[in-house]
This record gives sequence, C-alpha cells and structure tokens, in this order.
Amino acid sequence: MAHIQRGKAWVSEKYVYAFDIIIQKFWTSAIDPAENAKWVMAGVDEQFNAENAFKNEGYTFIVAGHNFAGGGKSIEHVVTGMMGAGIQAVFADSFSRLQFRNATNYGLPFITCKDIVKHVKTGDELEFNPDTGIIKNLTTGFEAQALPVAPFVAEIASSGGLMEFIKRKIADGTAKDLR
Amino acid sequence: MPGMTITEKIMAQQSGRDSVRPAELVWTDIYTVMTMDYLGKQTFTALHELGKTEVFDKDRVICVSDHLVPPPTAQFATMLNEWREVVREHNITHFYDLGKQGIAHQIMVEQGHVLPGTVSIGTDSHANTYGAVGAVGNAVSVSDAAVAMAIGKCWFRVPESVKFHITGTWQPYVMGKDLSLHIMGMMHWNGHLIYKTLEFEGPAIHALSMAGRMTLCNMTVDLGAKNGIVAPDEVTKEYLKGRAKGDWSMIASDADAHYDAVYEVDVTNIGPTVAMPDKLDDIAPIEKVVGTKFNKAFVGTCTNGRLEDIAMIAKILEGKQVHRDVNFLLVPASTQVYLDALKAGYITTLVEAGVAVDTPSCAACAGIHTGVAGDGDIVLSAGNRNMKGRMGSKNAQIYLSSPAVVAASALTGVISDPREL
Ligand code: SF4
Repeated sequence: MAHIQRGKAWVSEKYVYAFDIIIQKFWTSAIDPAENAKWVMAGVDEQFNAENAFKNEGYTFIVAGHNFAGGGKSIEHVVTGMMGAGIQAVFADSFSRLQFRNATNYGLPFITCKDIVKHVKTGDELEFNPDTGIIKNLTTGFEAQALPVAPFVAEIASSGGLMEFIKRKIADGTAKDLR
Repeated sequence: MPGMTITEKIMAQQSGRDSVRPAELVWTDIYTVMTMDYLGKQTFTALHELGKTEVFDKDRVICVSDHLVPPPTAQFATMLNEWREVVREHNITHFYDLGKQGIAHQIMVEQGHVLPGTVSIGTDSHANTYGAVGAVGNAVSVSDAAVAMAIGKCWFRVPESVKFHITGTWQPYVMGKDLSLHIMGMMHWNGHLIYKTLEFEGPAIHALSMAGRMTLCNMTVDLGAKNGIVAPDEVTKEYLKGRAKGDWSMIASDADAHYDAVYEVDVTNIGPTVAMPDKLDDIAPIEKVVGTKFNKAFVGTCTNGRLEDIAMIAKILEGKQVHRDVNFLLVPASTQVYLDALKAGYITTLVEAGVAVDTPSCAACAGIHTGVAGDGDIVLSAGNRNMKGRMGSKNAQIYLSSPAVVAASALTGVISDPREL
C-alpha cells in the first residue's frame, strides 16, 4: 500500500483554474510529466511564470478552496504537470469533475477536505497518510480527517495511468474483481 | 447503519457493497455505455489500446450518430464513414445511424437502454439525462468509456446528494424547462453544486411527464452538478412498459438518508422563465424580458426536442403564422419523436405555420451543424447552453427558454408570454 507522505504545502486562497495551471500555449504539448511541469501554475501567480519556477519551490502538496482546477478544461497536462513538479496529493473543498477524473486516472490523489485551506499556510510542513486519510499540519499541530485514498489510485499511479492499469488487470484476469 | 439516498444505494448495489459514503471511490458495474459519431472512433481505438478487440457486451454498447448527421461537410462525411466502419467491425447490436438516428441521450432513454437502479455512461456531457428514469447517468472521457467497453465497469466518486423538494401545481404553459431555469437562477453557478447529485422529488415531480424529467436531469450538468435523478414512480413504470431492454425493480431513497442541503420549490409560483445571453445563471422571469426583439427561433436538442415539446409548440402555432422577421427551426430529438409528431399531425401544423423542420440531430446546438447563428443573430432557443459562440458566431446572442415561450414569441417577433396569447 501507499506510504505516508511528508512535505511542504503550497496554498492558494483564490480559485485555481485548469487553464491557469497550464496556460494556453501548452495545451497542445505532448503528455510528459517532466516537460509539463516546467511551466505549471504559470497563469496562477506571476511568481510561477518562469521556467521550473513552481517545481523549484519543492512543494509536495497543494491546498485549495472550492472548484480546484475548474473552468471546464479537460486537458490532462494539468495533472501530469503537477505530478512532474513533485505534487503527491491535492487537498481542497471541491474539485472540478473533469480534472478529478483525470487526476485519479493518473493516480494523483485529489482529496476532498472541507475548510482545510483555513488551516494551512504556504510553506507549512504536512504529513498525509493515504490509508487512514489523516492530514497533519506538522507546523501548527492541526489535524484533519479526510477519507482514505482508494487503494486502486496508488496502483494506477504505479502502473503509469488508467489504461496501463486496466491493460494489466485484463491480462491477468483480475479486472472483474475491481469494485 | 444510517439511511442512503437512491444514488448511494445504486452505487452500493452496483459495486457489490452494503453501503457507500459520499467522496468514496468505487468501481461499479455499467449497464450501458453510449458513444457517438463525434468521439466514437477514438473510443474504439482506446479499447484496442487496452488489448481488446471485442466489447464486454455487444447489446450494451450503444452507438449513435447525432452530432454530424447528415454530414454538412466533406470532413464530417469522412468522419462518419470511419465511424460506421468501426461500429460494423465490432458487431454492435444497437447502432442508430442516419435513418434511425437521434440525439444519443434521447435514444438511450426512449429506446429503453437505461434502467432504474443501474449505472449508464456516455462520452458526452449530457449523459446525466438518464437520471430521469432513476438511473445514475454520467458523462465520461473516451478512456473511461473504453475501459467500460472492455470490462463493463467504471470508477466513480460517490457524490454528495442535494435534495430539491418540489411542490405545488404546474401553471398552464409552464414546463420542466422553466423549473430548470428557475433553479439555475436560484442557485447561481458559484460552484457549490460541484460533484453533487441533485435529487428531484415531491408531488410536482410525480406530476411531471418523462419528457419534463429528462429536461430537468439534462440541465443539472449546466448547473455545475454531477448529475440529477428522479426515483422511479408510476410515470416511470408506464413509460418503461414495452420499452425497457431488461428487468428492473423499484428503488428509492431511505427516509433517513443524509443530504448536503434540501431546497424547497413551489412550482405554483413559477411562470415562464428566460436565461439571458452569455450566462446561464442570469435568469429573468418572462415579465422582465417581454418585448425583446429576436430573429431566430430554435426548438430541438437533448433538452427540449421531445414529442411533448413539439405538441406544445403545435398547440400554440396551430392556424397561425410565424412572424415574418423570425426564422423558426424545429429539429426533433430522434427519429421516433419525428415519426410520432408526424402521425399526430404536429409536423403538418408547424410546416403550415411557417416552421422549418429538419431531420433529427444535435443541429445548431453546438454551433457545428444545421441552423448555426451568424453575426448579429439574436436566437431564442429551447436548448441548454447560451455562452458566447455556442451556436456559431461569437457575435450572436442566445436567450434560452421553454418551447412554449419560443413558439409564443415566434408569433410576435419579440419575446412573449405564452399565457397571454
Ligand atoms: S443536443 Fe446539444 S447539448 Fe445535447 S448532446 Fe447534442 S450538442 Fe450536446
């Protein structure tokens, strides 16, 4: 099973739109986490509008309010870009449905956690246990209980995406056991 | 164990669990997978990428031509040819191609391919229409649909449920669409319905026809919700008689089920309602927009192209003439609807009144087919989306309303109240 994750958080108090996470000129680039990560968040904040600016901050988690990655864009670069930049989980009040499905289909946990944005500041050290769903703010001592991550999400991540994951399940005859 | 909503029950049953909680991720069995001309070929290509050449059940993968038929350009014609070939190759039982065509969501419900208590998906955003018969209907991506075609399963995040308890008496000329638009104005698109399922119930819902329920569930995605559902009742039973392609049983929410929020709406107070151009949640009661000039009238789409809608506009236009400044286009939602409307005499009435009728398709709805809007057009449409450029030109304006408002207004050339004919 997935292991406990620890690292620094980046918090956005504003709405974060998918089309700002990956700006328009990269919408048609190939899906490649390392490449997609270079300009991730370029449209969200001026400080990230430089090559590898977001990635170089070394964040592990993103914390946001409602409708994270909303705005109706279904581009998968949004998810691969964040993963390429080292993000291991995103905690928010709610997520755009399109990007929630993309994130899960790449194995990046998008965790619903009400009001979490009020209890974390950018740079705080967080610890997340995917098996129990407990999110700890090691900087402040705050603790939140979210739902555990379904085990298949980690399996998708280690397979390199939904399609590979299902291909393996079909090949070894275990697809019928998914539930 | 606390009670469950109908959606939670369906997701629990279809994933082989005793219960589920909102936000939990589950793999459920899929009753039917729909794909259509626009994305269908890609979906089959993705199926092959999974190492499969056959679908999980050729009776339960439903293929429909709707966005591109009959093809308006050589490019679309080529796409359609490739699509036909791929459907044939996979020996799909139910292929609704030109001649039997219709908008996929209408076909899915009308031809009995969605059943209460089951989960069906489609590669188009309005697959939430299936909630009208008490099914969980979801729009998914090409890869998710390919996975379901391969293994008959799809993963879902169990949605939080929001209840709309609808009471009162429907006023004459007030339709399901008016309730949809009213709710749109009431909730505003501010994100708090994201990923939630909207459950419609109460006496005014039991009094609503299947066509009205389909409109209501269809527009939940435009409200920013995941989908909508109406638990099966006598209307559902009657509707599915001779139609349902499979067995089903009644299912309902428990009395002690948990809802994120409960809203009460009394339809007695709802009159014809209009969405202003560009923003779906900019809603006005008709009194505020009466007298607004427009030049194109459109009735059709997966929202309002059904027999009941056509009956309504025929009733309003019978023996009268569409105003000379208005072009009125009707596109029935499916071949079955078209045929029923022909047999009932509605088509004759409408053609005599000066309405142009085209063969079933999505038509101008997405701005790629029959009857698109050009610069300066002001469209009064019974469809579901009115953002800039949706029906063609970015320099066109789109008002949304019920078919009754479209028909009443087409007589005068300005937005008019059907109750005051
Ligand atoms: S009628 Fe319009 S909204 Fe419905 S499926 Fe077709 S294009 Fe989409």
